[in-house]
Amino acid sequence: MVRALGWLSAVALALGLVMAFGVAPRESTQGNVQRIMYVHPPLAWVAYLAFGVVAVASIVYLARRRAGADRLAHASAEVGVVFTGLAIATGSIWGKPTWGTWWTWDARLTSVAILFVMYLGYLLLRGTIEDGERAARYCAVLGIIAALDMPLVHFSVYWWRTLHQPPSLMKPGGFSGSATILWPLLVNLAAFTVLYAYLVAKRARLLRAETEALA
Amino acid sequence: MSYARRAFVVAWKDLLVERRSKETLNALLFFALLLLFVFQFALGPDRERLAGVLPGVLWLGFILSGLLALGRTFLVEREHDCWEGLLLAPGDKSAIYVGKLAGNLALMAVVETLVLGLFVIFFDIDLARAFPGLPVVVALGTIGLAAVGTLFAAMTAHIRAREVLFPVLLLPVQVPVLLGTVKATEALLLGESLASVAHWIKLLAAADVVYIVAGLLLFDVILEG
Amino acid sequence: MPDNWGFVAAAYGLTAAVLLLYWRRLVRKEKELTAGKRIRHGHNQPPSDSAPSVAERSHQPSRTAHPRLDPDTKSSLPTNPTSRAPQS
Repeated sequence: MVRALGWLSAVALALGLVMAFGVAPRESTQGNVQRIMYVHPPLAWVAYLAFGVVAVASIVYLARRRAGADRLAHASAEVGVVFTGLAIATGSIWGKPTWGTWWTWDARLTSVAILFVMYLGYLLLRGTIEDGERAARYCAVLGIIAALDMPLVHFSVYWWRTLHQPPSLMKPGGFSGSATILWPLLVNLAAFTVLYAYLVAKRARLLRAETEALA
Repeated sequence: MSYARRAFVVAWKDLLVERRSKETLNALLFFALLLLFVFQFALGPDRERLAGVLPGVLWLGFILSGLLALGRTFLVEREHDCWEGLLLAPGDKSAIYVGKLAGNLALMAVVETLVLGLFVIFFDIDLARAFPGLPVVVALGTIGLAAVGTLFAAMTAHIRAREVLFPVLLLPVQVPVLLGTVKATEALLLGESLASVAHWIKLLAAADVVYIVAGLLLFDVILEG
Repeated sequence: MPDNWGFVAAAYGLTAAVLLLYWRRLVRKEKELTAGKRIRHGHNQPPSDSAPSVAERSHQPSRTAHPRLDPDTKSSLPTNPTSRAPQS
């Protein structure tokens, strides 16, 4: 099952890559740099998805105390932090030629940066607590609080940036109708999601093997 | 013992300990004073530049003092081997959370009043026009900080790296509170009405509700062991 | 508007590199753990092992009928490459 996911994600990613360069046109205002927008939003989407999974798995763990739920939360947090870091990096790389600067506190980037720090805190907490059961419980609490906080973070950051500024920075890049832009984006979105599922499954399996090895 | 009474007992015990030892409060007040000096030295004597960053600096002062105060929430229990007492407490343990939160709020109120007073003196702020709004904003922000801080203090109480981990975990979660309070304070200090920052007030209030409810529900989980 | 292919390459390349490295790390750890498990499982076969042999990861008991107390068998085993093959 896990291996099937692996092959599926490889195929999907390859397809996404082909579409990003073969199907998608050269964008009129930004030039080819816009092609980064076929990886950056998918990475950001997975970053948030992974976080949602951490939250739900945490709730399930606290309700049922099933070790599998805790492993899922842990795995999703680890894979999530990788995707979040990449989302920030690709966003920054896109931003340099487009906005002229490596970093800007625009609403989207800031939110993702805060998400990144929350992930790091979660993993740090995991690493610091030796007792497995306590780590699972405490991380579940942290995961839930952080997830509840994210909508608040979103609004506050958005208002912080856009209330006295035109909201143009929050608009996603170029969705206006063109199918040749939409389809590569959607394919890559799906591909990265499958990749996420594959990596989480592998990581969770590894976690179970690690706990069994210690037993 | 009823829930409210248990919460009250916890808060009262903490405040009594504090009143007798004055350990935390004195150190915090002194810390706040020092922060003022540090901010002044870091930002330079330029009056106008100070005026621009004042709301941010004020809340930095509140948050830094808050981190110190909140981090010590369970210090007494930990150092005097009373943690097990908390674990074995009968009934809904969230009463302990309420008690600790109330104690923290009282402590923060004293510190913040002093910090605000010092700011007025040292940075020559006209507080009068900020007035009905500013206490509201400060109260909402402090509740948000303390609500999560008390929970995380319990979580990090037994971790060796707690002095580092506590702020690291708390600060990202507090971003909405920080943004909301600074923006609202900024507007209020410029003389604008509370109504003009209504959206921030609503955000802070919503955050406070979320944090307190989460704290009430999740505190038991922390105190399982 | 210049095309900035360097930036595009950087973004795609970084993404591919990091994801690939992470995936390889997972695969490698999994291999280590399954290899470790195989050694331990093979070692666990003879149930009558007592104290001394637990510290050693080898298959001595199942290959000889000798009790492990024989000092000779102990010293010859650890580096024996064929001990890898699981006896089970």
